Amino acid sequence: METLLHDLRYGVRMLRKSPSFTAIAVLTLALGIGSTVAIFSVVDQVLLHSLPYPDADRIMYVSQTERGGNELHYASSPANYLDWVAQNHVFSVMAASRGWQGNLGGDRPERVRLSMTTASLFPLFAVHPMLGRGLESEDEEPSNDHVAVLSYGLWNRRFGADPGLINQSITLNNETYTVVGVMPSNFLPDGYGELWVPSPWGVPSHPLVPSQDPRQFRDRNYLDVWGRLKPGVTQHQAEQEMSAIARRLEKQYPDSNDGIGVGMMSLQDSVVSDIRPVLYVLLAAVAFVLLIGCTNVANLLLARSSGRTREISIRIALGAGRRRIVSQLLTESVLLAVAGGLLGIVIAAWAVPTLVALGPSEIRDYGNIGVNLEALAFAVVVSILTGVLFGLAPALHASEGKVSDSLKEGERGSTAQRGRTRTALVVAEVALSLILLIGAGLTVRSFVRVLRVDPGFDASHLLVFGVGLPPSASADEQDRFYRQVAEKLETLPGVQSAGAVSRLPLSGGNSGRSFKLPGSAKDYSADIRVETPRYLQTMGVSLLKGRYLDEHDIAGATPVIVVNEAFTKSVFPGEDPIGKYITDFGPGMDKLQIVGVVGNVRHVALEAAPRAEVYLPFGQAHWTSAFVAVRTKTSDPLALVPAVQNAVWSVDKTVPLAGVRTMQDLIARSLVQRKFTMTLLAIFAALAVVLAAIGLYGAMSYSVSQRTREIGIRMALGAQKKDVLKMVVGQGMGLAAIGVAVGIAGSLGMMRLISGLLFGVSATDPVTFILLAMVLAGVAFAANYIPARRATAVDPMVALRYE
Amino acid sequence: MIQLRNVERSYKTGAGATYVLRRINLDIQAGDFVTVMGPSGAGKSTMLSILGMLDDGWAGEYHFLDHAVHKLDRKKRADLNRQYIGFVFQSYHLLDNLTVYENLDVPLSYRNVSRGQRASMVAEVLDRFQIVGKKDLYPSQLSGGQQQLVGVARAVVGNPKLILADEPTGNLHSSQAKEIMELFKKLNDQGTTIVQVTHSEANAAYGNRTIQLFDGWIANDPKNEPVPNTTASIG
Repeated sequence: METLLHDLRYGVRMLRKSPSFTAIAVLTLALGIGSTVAIFSVVDQVLLHSLPYPDADRIMYVSQTERGGNELHYASSPANYLDWVAQNHVFSVMAASRGWQGNLGGDRPERVRLSMTTASLFPLFAVHPMLGRGLESEDEEPSNDHVAVLSYGLWNRRFGADPGLINQSITLNNETYTVVGVMPSNFLPDGYGELWVPSPWGVPSHPLVPSQDPRQFRDRNYLDVWGRLKPGVTQHQAEQEMSAIARRLEKQYPDSNDGIGVGMMSLQDSVVSDIRPVLYVLLAAVAFVLLIGCTNVANLLLARSSGRTREISIRIALGAGRRRIVSQLLTESVLLAVAGGLLGIVIAAWAVPTLVALGPSEIRDYGNIGVNLEALAFAVVVSILTGVLFGLAPALHASEGKVSDSLKEGERGSTAQRGRTRTALVVAEVALSLILLIGAGLTVRSFVRVLRVDPGFDASHLLVFGVGLPPSASADEQDRFYRQVAEKLETLPGVQSAGAVSRLPLSGGNSGRSFKLPGSAKDYSADIRVETPRYLQTMGVSLLKGRYLDEHDIAGATPVIVVNEAFTKSVFPGEDPIGKYITDFGPGMDKLQIVGVVGNVRHVALEAAPRAEVYLPFGQAHWTSAFVAVRTKTSDPLALVPAVQNAVWSVDKTVPLAGVRTMQDLIARSLVQRKFTMTLLAIFAALAVVLAAIGLYGAMSYSVSQRTREIGIRMALGAQKKDVLKMVVGQGMGLAAIGVAVGIAGSLGMMRLISGLLFGVSATDPVTFILLAMVLAGVAFAANYIPARRATAVDPMVALRYE
Repeated sequence: MIQLRNVERSYKTGAGATYVLRRINLDIQAGDFVTVMGPSGAGKSTMLSILGMLDDGWAGEYHFLDHAVHKLDRKKRADLNRQYIGFVFQSYHLLDNLTVYENLDVPLSYRNVSRGQRASMVAEVLDRFQIVGKKDLYPSQLSGGQQQLVGVARAVVGNPKLILADEPTGNLHSSQAKEIMELFKKLNDQGTTIVQVTHSEANAAYGNRTIQLFDGWIANDPKNEPVPNTTASIG
């Protein structure tokens, strides 16, 4: 114990004696440990920890698929769901829900995310309500169905966390509901609902025809479905049985179920499948940063150990045992690692909330992500191991019986060995940082490419929001409401034009339908948009042929549609579609005439190819909710929000506005994940480059100090400053060149792993590779130049005398 | 060949300046073999560094051949060094990581000598010093005498007019030392001017003139009158 205390005291003294060494080593370790802990904390919470439901790994997300295909449709029909429930033997319970929006009444009407669900959702997820109860099968009787379970967030935000809310009434879509329960904050089964209501027919109704019994709908796919595996049943067994059921249904209902299979994935996978590759890439990136950091510290320790070989030799000559020396050096290394770890915790504690705030919803929804102790322990162990490994090198060398040599010849005996190790470390650092730099470069270029994508509309000066009448409103009332809202908005000063549409680009939802051409049995499909006159003009979607929809396209007039370019290319390649018809586009849409062709709009994502779209006028088609787009004459569209709200309320004062924002904000939100990846990779790459530059600088400074005598001799033999400069820079750049070559080779292999995150740029994009290799070479040159300049100041007289 | 007039060298210290060479007046003719002797700290090595143009911090006049060295900038002095002067060091100062051949090539690499010409010059010296068989060995594989032989070979590879040798046999035993001194004698006989610093009377005997330095002053030079008051305090 006394020895340990002595070693600790001595270690602290040694570290204090070289404050710059200590500061650089601790800061380097702290940056590596801090960033690793921060990212690992997020990865651990999001990917590795089970979701907060009992036996969460047994909950499957179940969906219709193409027969034999692996890609889930993420939507299933009510009739199929009911057959799955009735026929399967692999799930102890199944549940279905569908999301929509509803108007929560009161002093401040609010549009909320509403999930209509089967009562079985609550036992399936096995989460006890925080207050009251969950939905039960009795609630699914049409006479009892006006009950609601609230999410923690809505209860807290809207009702001030009132514990007396149970059995109280709330107004939802102008109808009275009784609150029967409040769920805890971690209950996010579908990642959507703020409020759950029962399904009056035992299965959620279709949002466009909510009053119709949905149990026979086999070709309308709008349900999310989950199943909890029975004890002992594997996912594979479940997949086999569900496929067998799908084949039976296909035979039984060939019209609707031809080619329809069933697939499933674990709930965890369904939640994190998008963010998983991003997090793994970031984890690899911070691992690189930590590695580079450890390499730097190892290099520093090695350089320092050269200066200490003599000290250690003297200690051994004075009788210190090998173990004693080792324990002393070990204490110093551990001290460094602990100091780095402590500072790392501070960095991670600061970084994690920032990281979560920057992150996409998959990360933000977890809410309670904090510094993870397992990650911290891991990183500290790695850094201690590294420190110990390289801290021990001089002790092991000194205790190999070469004490007299060390004392006589100073450092020369071990220089070559250490030089090779240091060289290898520097090459590794440069290579690792180039890999990170190229990774970041490719994501930055992808981001720039995405920003350059023409969305097909003009996002500037656009204000957008969601509105909707209660489902009880008739189709006429709803269609009239959207038209009136748009007309009213257009009378506002500061508004250029306004229009409403069933699905707004980049807003996260989509709807598609199949159709036929007259006289043909072939099925086509296209996305459906229902719009008011001047919606397309408001968005700035260009007219390519024919005309836009207008005020004359109303109920009773000739049913007309406008299609986009992608539609024309896929359905009427090389033909003029104007005047042509499509049929069977849904109930009551037997024959629709094409009157215009407009430009493509990137609806799903800026990166996703445009899809075939059909625009129909409200009145001739129907939709129960809409987004309104307002083109303003002001540079700050949000300044018009109060006037816009009043205009909507002047049509119906019970209707709340949802998600009021600018279109540019909506685009930015659609890029959150890409920006998150790009920003973090860029930060880590910058960190890596700085650390590599410090490493290179340190290595070359050390090399120059070791070569003082040689440089002196060369100068005595006639070398000029430029010769010395060339020699030192050449040596450093030689190392950098090897590092760059290894880094490029590594990048060629590793960048394929991130190809899924790239857009419009190849994973082996030569421009990025060459440009960033040059950038790194430039940084390496700067890091080499300073020690090289110092080398030219070597006084040959002093250098030659110092022996 | 060499004329020093009132050459002084001092270093700044906390209390003022400390002189290591004072009012040095020295003439060396081409073909001389001059020995500089004196106790440690007398300024011998400093004088050699000034003669070899490795030191810039001196005052006074220095004429080398037809050049007024004191009027030249550092680069021109370095040019003179490369063109006319070869160095031999007590600790050999061979470059550890280079072979014998490469060590001999180093001084030529700093002159504007083509690769082919360099090769023939190195080959000639290897042959002359009878070390052809050792050309691929590293310094650590040679004895002290062999290393110094390479050191001398390196000093003469560029055919210098002047060789400056700083205790060239200091690290050698007597038989090796004799061999090296015989070599210097031979070079001198062939016309190379040599200035050596040594503590050894035996080595001094190879030369034709011995200068004694004491506390920075020339205490005795057979060709010049001794400077009076040599025991005066310095600084």
